Amino acid sequence: MAHRILTVIWVLLLVGQVSGCAHYPVNQPSHTYIRHGGYCFENLAADPKNTDELFICLSFSGGGTRAAALAYGVMEELQKTPVRVKGQDKTLLDEVDCISSVSGGSFTAAYYGLFRERLFQDFRTRFLERNIQGALVARLLNPINLWRVASPWFGRIDLAAELYDRDLFDSATFAQLEQQGRPFIILNATNLGPGRRFDFTQDYFDALGSRLDQYPVSRAVAASSAFPFLLSPISLQNYPPAEGYEPPWWYEGALKPTDWTSRRYQAAKNLDLYLNKQNEYVHLMDGGLADNIGVRAILEAYDHGFLREKINQGKIKQLVLIIVNARTEGEDRLSRRESPPGLLTVAAKTATIAMDNYSFESIDRTRATLYERVQNQKDVEACQRLLDKYCPGAPRLAPFKAEVDTYVVEINFEAAALIPGEDPRDYLDLPTSFKLSKEQVEKLIAIGPRLLRDSPQYQCLLQVLQAEAQGRPRPPECPMGAGIVGK
Amino acid sequence: MPYEFLQVVFPRPRQVLINGEPMGNTNVLLELEGGEYTVTLTPPEDYTPPRHQINLRHTSALNPLVIEFKEM
Repeated sequence: MAHRILTVIWVLLLVGQVSGCAHYPVNQPSHTYIRHGGYCFENLAADPKNTDELFICLSFSGGGTRAAALAYGVMEELQKTPVRVKGQDKTLLDEVDCISSVSGGSFTAAYYGLFRERLFQDFRTRFLERNIQGALVARLLNPINLWRVASPWFGRIDLAAELYDRDLFDSATFAQLEQQGRPFIILNATNLGPGRRFDFTQDYFDALGSRLDQYPVSRAVAASSAFPFLLSPISLQNYPPAEGYEPPWWYEGALKPTDWTSRRYQAAKNLDLYLNKQNEYVHLMDGGLADNIGVRAILEAYDHGFLREKINQGKIKQLVLIIVNARTEGEDRLSRRESPPGLLTVAAKTATIAMDNYSFESIDRTRATLYERVQNQKDVEACQRLLDKYCPGAPRLAPFKAEVDTYVVEINFEAAALIPGEDPRDYLDLPTSFKLSKEQVEKLIAIGPRLLRDSPQYQCLLQVLQAEAQGRPRPPECPMGAGIVGK
Repeated sequence: MPYEFLQVVFPRPRQVLINGEPMGNTNVLLELEGGEYTVTLTPPEDYTPPRHQINLRHTSALNPLVIEFKEM
């Protein structure tokens, strides 16, 4: 009997020791701060085919394999679309400068960021057509891994990250992403503590006093897609600031208490979370909890980041934002029943209603923000014309350094209703999972290009670019602003 | 919050620094988030005053905040 008890104690100790040994890979501290160094937009080289004049950003929403496949189809279409900019022939994909992604969309974004054209060769077989969910469950059920996840410092998400690292991202780190240059890939996650957006860029890691270059891309993608409850959070350590660290330029003077209603104040407060070293750890989950579209990072770049600088310096002529929104919407059966919904239905609705409404508002704000720029340009131009006509001696108005022609193109399954032979329900009813049939993936890849080509805003972009390349005047059906409100 | 507008007047074209960051040229409209900033110019330091502390608000593209640096 005593022997049996000793054996049980021995086994329990062994299990405890083995599981206790398992620990997630820790991000490394940074000792020297380099302004605009590491994985930030300013530090990325642009390919000779990439101009600032035509500045394209893509945002890939969440939605598991569905979102990844839709984003892939759009990338394929951009790669097949020839344009001529500043006398140079290229494709629209060559002109993409940044991709901001969430959850499922982060797989496509990171894969293209690391491996470029290889995306179109093997991403389907390596990810889209694979049963990733099954592979994750198989890894979890492996007895060794069951012990590892018993550790408080190693979770299901760490197993997922290992799988992505080995099977998809070939152990690549952010140093490799940096070497590839533009487009700047912004992988978005959600910091569970404050419930705010977090992205895997050197700006955030500078605030954490940490090096991003040594961090595996797979872990960033895992954090971006760590679906609540099914997967556990990815954790980072918050270190003392590196020597010489200076917060970004917009931070100084931003935290004036009377400015608490401004976005700049809120952004500074967000940064303060990491500058406060009492917050020793950051626990990250699915980026969709904070922004399921991926557009908020681009809006921040427009508010006070790399886009703001380029616009004020007059370097951008066309600013194009293509939003790939894989949002679904199951048929409303609740409104057809007399009995109130059960607890599970209410829980599911509670989790998604706010997120969907917020996504709509994010896209709406993007359109309004970029349209406001166009309206301001038109106001200054019209006023100057009136002054020239009626007060020829009056001082001239201050002009913008350059006019920016803005475009917001949204790819959304609802627009499939406008395409002959397509039924939006074929897409709107798809599940959010990492396992879709080959046929479903094929259909998703095919609808992306059709939705893109069918967008009036996208059509205007191509028409304007073509007219410019041929030295013709701007097409009258696409005046400045048609890139937002359509023809 | 809407964006605010700033015009930095200087006799010649020069880069404007907002909190030390290059943010466009003198004598054109600069579009920024509202709030407090320190405005200087890129070297040479042949201008006066050495800096402007501004509180950028209540402006529009047609009615920007205008500040001036004079050449020394």
